[in-house]
Amino acid sequence: MNLKSMVTFLAVTYGLIGIMPLFVGDSVIIMRILTMILIWSIVASCWDVIMGFAGIFSFGQVAFFVIGAYSSAILSVSLNVPPVVAMLMAGMITAMVGVLVGLPCIKLAGPYIALVTFAFHMALKPFFSGPLGKAIGSGGSRGILSVPPIKIFGMAFSSAELVPFFYLALFLTLICSGVIVAILKSYWGTAFLALKDSEDFAVSLGISAFKYKLMVFGITSFITGLFGALYVHYVGILSIRVLSGQVFTTLMIMIVVGGIGQYPGVVLGAVFTVTAEQLLRPLGIYRFVIMGGLVVAVVLLLPDGITGLIRKLFPGRQEKESRSIETHKSSLEGVG
Amino acid sequence: MLIEIIDVSISGLLNGSVYALMAIGLALVYGVTKAFNFAYGSFYNMGGYFAWVLLISLGMKGGYYTVFFTAVPFLFIVGFILEKALVSPLRKRADWEMKVMMLTLGLGLFLDIGYIVVFGPRLKSLPEIVEGTTSIGELVFLNQDIVIFIISITGLLCFAWILNNTRVGMAVQAVAQNPAGAQIVGIPKDFIFAATFAISTVMVGLGGILLCQKNFVIPQASWPIMIKAWVITAFGGMGSIRGSLYAAFIIGMLEAFVGYTLGLIYIDIAILTLLLITLALRPQGLMGKE
Repeated sequence: MNLKSMVTFLAVTYGLIGIMPLFVGDSVIIMRILTMILIWSIVASCWDVIMGFAGIFSFGQVAFFVIGAYSSAILSVSLNVPPVVAMLMAGMITAMVGVLVGLPCIKLAGPYIALVTFAFHMALKPFFSGPLGKAIGSGGSRGILSVPPIKIFGMAFSSAELVPFFYLALFLTLICSGVIVAILKSYWGTAFLALKDSEDFAVSLGISAFKYKLMVFGITSFITGLFGALYVHYVGILSIRVLSGQVFTTLMIMIVVGGIGQYPGVVLGAVFTVTAEQLLRPLGIYRFVIMGGLVVAVVLLLPDGITGLIRKLFPGRQEKESRSIETHKSSLEGVG
Repeated sequence: MLIEIIDVSISGLLNGSVYALMAIGLALVYGVTKAFNFAYGSFYNMGGYFAWVLLISLGMKGGYYTVFFTAVPFLFIVGFILEKALVSPLRKRADWEMKVMMLTLGLGLFLDIGYIVVFGPRLKSLPEIVEGTTSIGELVFLNQDIVIFIISITGLLCFAWILNNTRVGMAVQAVAQNPAGAQIVGIPKDFIFAATFAISTVMVGLGGILLCQKNFVIPQASWPIMIKAWVITAFGGMGSIRGSLYAAFIIGMLEAFVGYTLGLIYIDIAILTLLLITLALRPQGLMGKE
C-alpha cells in the first residue's frame, strides 16, 4: 500500500471511531469496546510491524505489553511516580527489555526466535507470581489491585470517565500510528522489508541486520509498553491473567483477520476481533472454541485477511496491472 | 543421601525417556516437513483423554492393551487427516511457515478449550498400568515406572528401526534431505509429509497416555508439554533426531535435580536459562547442522 492510501485508510478508520462517542457516548459497553479497540489496534500493529514487515517471528508481543503494564503499575503504586511519567518510563523499560530479548534473536533462524520469545512469555508468569515478582511489588498471584488513574493538569482520566479517556487513548493512538507509518515508509521500513526478503542480499548492500533488527525490537516494544501502561491505568487492576493463552490468541486473531504484513489492515482486524469478543461473551467458554476455529478458518480461506478480501473484491490499478502482466506471461508460455 | 540421588536420577531417566518420545516426534516433523506444529501439546492431551474414555468412561476390556492397539491407528488417522486438510493447502504459499504456526496455534486453542467443554475442567486420573513395587536392596521402584520406561524405550527403538530399515522410513529420510530430489525419483512427497505428521501425532499421543498416568489428564497441560518438547528440540538442534534424544535425557535429569534441590517452580527458569546459554553459544543447537 502506498503512503497516501495508508494515511487515508487510517484517517478514515480512526476518524469514524473518533466521532462514535458523539452518538453513543452514554453507552458504557460501547465506549469500553471503542477504547479497547484503540489500545489493541496499536499493540497488534506493532506485532504486524515486527512479524509482517521485519519478518521476525516474535511471539513476545503480549509479554512486552504485560511488562509495560507491570512497570507502570509498580512505579506508580510502590514508588508514587506520577502516572504520566510512569507510563513513559514503562515504555523505556519495555524497550530495554525488548532489545535484550532481541539480542539473542539476531543470530537465530525463524522457529528459534519464536521459541525464545514465547519461552520468555511463559517465564513471566512464574516470575511475576513468584517471590522475585513479590520483591519488586507485583503483588504475587493476587496482582495489583489499585493502580491510580492518569492525571494531567489536575484532570483524572480513568474508567470512571469513559469519554475523556477515550480521547486520550485516541490521541496516543494517532501519534503512534503516525510513528508506525513514518517508520514503514522511511528508509528503515524499506530496510526491514529488504532484510525479510533476502537477508544475505540486503547485508551485501550495506544494510546492518544487527542495527535494524534491534531497532525494530526497541521501537515496537516501546510503543507496546506505553500502551500496556495506558491499559493498566485505564482498568486499574492487573494480575498475571493477562499472560493467559486467550489474550495471546485474541491478539493473534487480530493480525490474522487483518492480514499479516498488510499494515493498516490490522486495525480493521482489531475492530472486528474486539467487537466479536464482546458480542460472544454470553457464550462463556464456547467463545474461545469459536475463536480458535476462526483462526484456522481465516488462515485457510483468507490468507491475506480482510485486506486480501477487499483487494480481491475491488481490484485497484496496481492489481490490474500485475494481473495483466501475468496473463501476458501465461499467454507467452502458451505460445512457447 | 546416595539413595535419594539415585531416586532422583531414576525419575530423571523416566521423564527423559518419555520426553524423548515426544521431542523426537516434533524434531521429525520439523526436519521433514519444515512445518512447526503449535498444537503438539494438544495431541498429548488427546492421548490422555483417549485412554480415559476407553478405560473409565466406556470401561473397555483388556485394559491398556486395548488402549495401545486402538490409540496408534486412531492418532495416526487424526494426524493424517489434519495434515491433509489444514497444513498441505497452505504449502503453496510463500509465507506458509508463518501461516502454519498461526493455524496450529488456533487449532491448539480450539482443541484445548474443546477438551474443557467436552470433558469438563476437572482433572481426570488414569489407572496405573501395572500395580505394585519392586525393591532391589534399599531401592524401591514403582512397577508402573519400569513399564513406562520400557514402553517408551521400545517405542523409540521401533521408531529408529522403521526410519532406518523400511522403505517408508527411507523415503522419509530422502524427503528430509531433498524434497524435490525425492519427488524426481518417484517418492510421493505429499503422502510422506502427511505420514510424518501422523507419526509425530502418534508419538506425542503415546507420550500422553504414558505420562498422564503419573500426572493426571489436565486440560491446561498442553502448553507446558508443548514448550518442553519444543525446548528439547531446539536444544538438541531443530530437526536433529539424535540431538533431541540426548537433549531429552539432559532436560529430564536437569528437571529432576532442580526440582529436588531448589524447588519445583525453578524448573522452568532453569530450563530456559540452559536453552538461552546453549543458543547463545551454538545457535544451531546441540547437534544441529548449520
